[in-house]
Amino acid sequence: MATPEVLAEKRELAGINADYKEKFGFNDPETGYAYKAPKGLSREVVETISDFKQEPQWMRDFRLKALEHFEQRPTPQWGGDLDQIDFEDIHYFVRASEKNSRDWSEVPEDIKYTFDRLGIPEAERKFLSGVGAQYESEVVYHQVNEKLEAQGVIFTDMDTALREHEDLVREHWATVIPPNDNKLAALNSAVWSGGSFVYVPAGVKVEMPLQAYFRINTENMGQFERTLIITEEGADVHYIEGCTAPVYSTDSLHSAVVEIVAKPSSRVRYTTVQNWSQNVYNLVTKRAVAHEKATMEWVDCNLGSKLTMKYPSIYLLGPEAHGEILSIAFAGDGQHQDAGGKIIHGAPRTSSSIFSKSISKDGGRATYRGLLEVADGATESRSKVVCDALLLDEDSRSDTYPTIRIDENDADVGHEATVSKIGDEQLFYLQAHGLDEEEASKMIVNGFIEPVTKELPMEYAVELNRLIELQMEGSIG
Amino acid sequence: MTDAARTKISVCPAAELGPGERRLVELDGRKIGVFNCDGTLYAIEDRCSHDDGPLAEGEFDPANCTVECPRHGSLFDLTTGRPKTLPAFKPVQTFPVAVEGDAITLEVS
Repeated sequence: MATPEVLAEKRELAGINADYKEKFGFNDPETGYAYKAPKGLSREVVETISDFKQEPQWMRDFRLKALEHFEQRPTPQWGGDLDQIDFEDIHYFVRASEKNSRDWSEVPEDIKYTFDRLGIPEAERKFLSGVGAQYESEVVYHQVNEKLEAQGVIFTDMDTALREHEDLVREHWATVIPPNDNKLAALNSAVWSGGSFVYVPAGVKVEMPLQAYFRINTENMGQFERTLIITEEGADVHYIEGCTAPVYSTDSLHSAVVEIVAKPSSRVRYTTVQNWSQNVYNLVTKRAVAHEKATMEWVDCNLGSKLTMKYPSIYLLGPEAHGEILSIAFAGDGQHQDAGGKIIHGAPRTSSSIFSKSISKDGGRATYRGLLEVADGATESRSKVVCDALLLDEDSRSDTYPTIRIDENDADVGHEATVSKIGDEQLFYLQAHGLDEEEASKMIVNGFIEPVTKELPMEYAVELNRLIELQMEGSIG
Repeated sequence: MTDAARTKISVCPAAELGPGERRLVELDGRKIGVFNCDGTLYAIEDRCSHDDGPLAEGEFDPANCTVECPRHGSLFDLTTGRPKTLPAFKPVQTFPVAVEGDAITLEVS
């Protein structure tokens, strides 16, 4: 029987989505849109996108070949349930604005208002070296610090990069993730639009982060941005991406491809705070190659979406290369976070770590899926994998699928996994110190994810904690 | 490797493998792809170093002398056996191939 307390809690639970809708889940009118492709995927749609962008022939051919791969490959039957996605019920290309501006005042009013509400221009002024804002299929605003530009740093949207730096793009394009790597990478390769291009010349260290923000506005939208980051010898960059979308009753699809090439002794950190609304399928392929003495770090925070399938990977292909993956997943009611990471040691004296933290509540499902591989010849390599799962109630679910493949005897690999439930004793102890039950639970969760949040720039750590507290509200039962 | 450990096999008459063509041969259970890149012959093992799947029947680009793994898209340089794109990162074995008289021959070690 529902007690008044239970009814009050249900009201609070219902409040979570309302809060998302107000803060992130609002939508703008589509007045003034330049183009909206009809629903469905076809050769004509792909050619239309290519025509709109006035691309070179090689890119058009690349798209059409990728479309064939997509059509030929079966939908993956592992991970989450992808059979519910109707690929014919999606708009594959939506152009909200005719131009990509470097002047904030030139951005169309509705779009500007959206990004103002999301705090993007404010963040740029305060602590970023550059910012890109993608709205629907294309980037509407892009800016980079002039001093960095003078040092040869390129930070622009992918469409502009293809026009203005074609040789650089072509040299690295799809070398890390070929179009038929998997079905969703093939889809992205066929219909990609927007995303970021980052090039940091040898020896240049970008002190403050570069950020891209991705926003879906329209219903039944597919967003397929494509990001390529190249750091030359000794360069250093931190790239951050965030994303949100309106709350709709029908599903949208986000399927990005992110390729990173970290050349010798360079360092790339790539931070994601994924907060899509709970009607978005988030199916992303992210992969980096780290050459000799390079460092690659993925900090991957998944809070939103209906289903996320994302396993950022690092190929350590030069001696003494180093890779780190920090993954955090929060799965609430109706969500499945199928996340993790992959590290492949392909050269001697390489080192890596994967730390995964997942929290499930209200029947949510969090899955860790990871691969650690040490190839024959990757002597004296070291790796540590730790995955911890926290269950907040009896209805939630956590699964761990760690794969470890060692083809080299001279390697040191460790793996630890824990699953824990917030215990009555922990709660009692904190409540005895004056906290109420909800505060006590938040404190336990914050302590659980602290190894990840301490790696984020302060502004993002605060934001992540705030988002998690938001998700935690009313979750005590 | 000594010459004694090598086996020389006949692939086919040279006239049967023109520019842009390829042939799959099998020896003691090993499959090897022989490719004619615009007049020059190359041979690689028919096994992608990424996941051991078949490689030689993938898309062949004679102008760039590459073959693309049909399973996950790694592009292999037929002249060296090295992958030019991930997810494969280890080279595959290559074999000496030549025209002797009217026949294409392959040396397998």
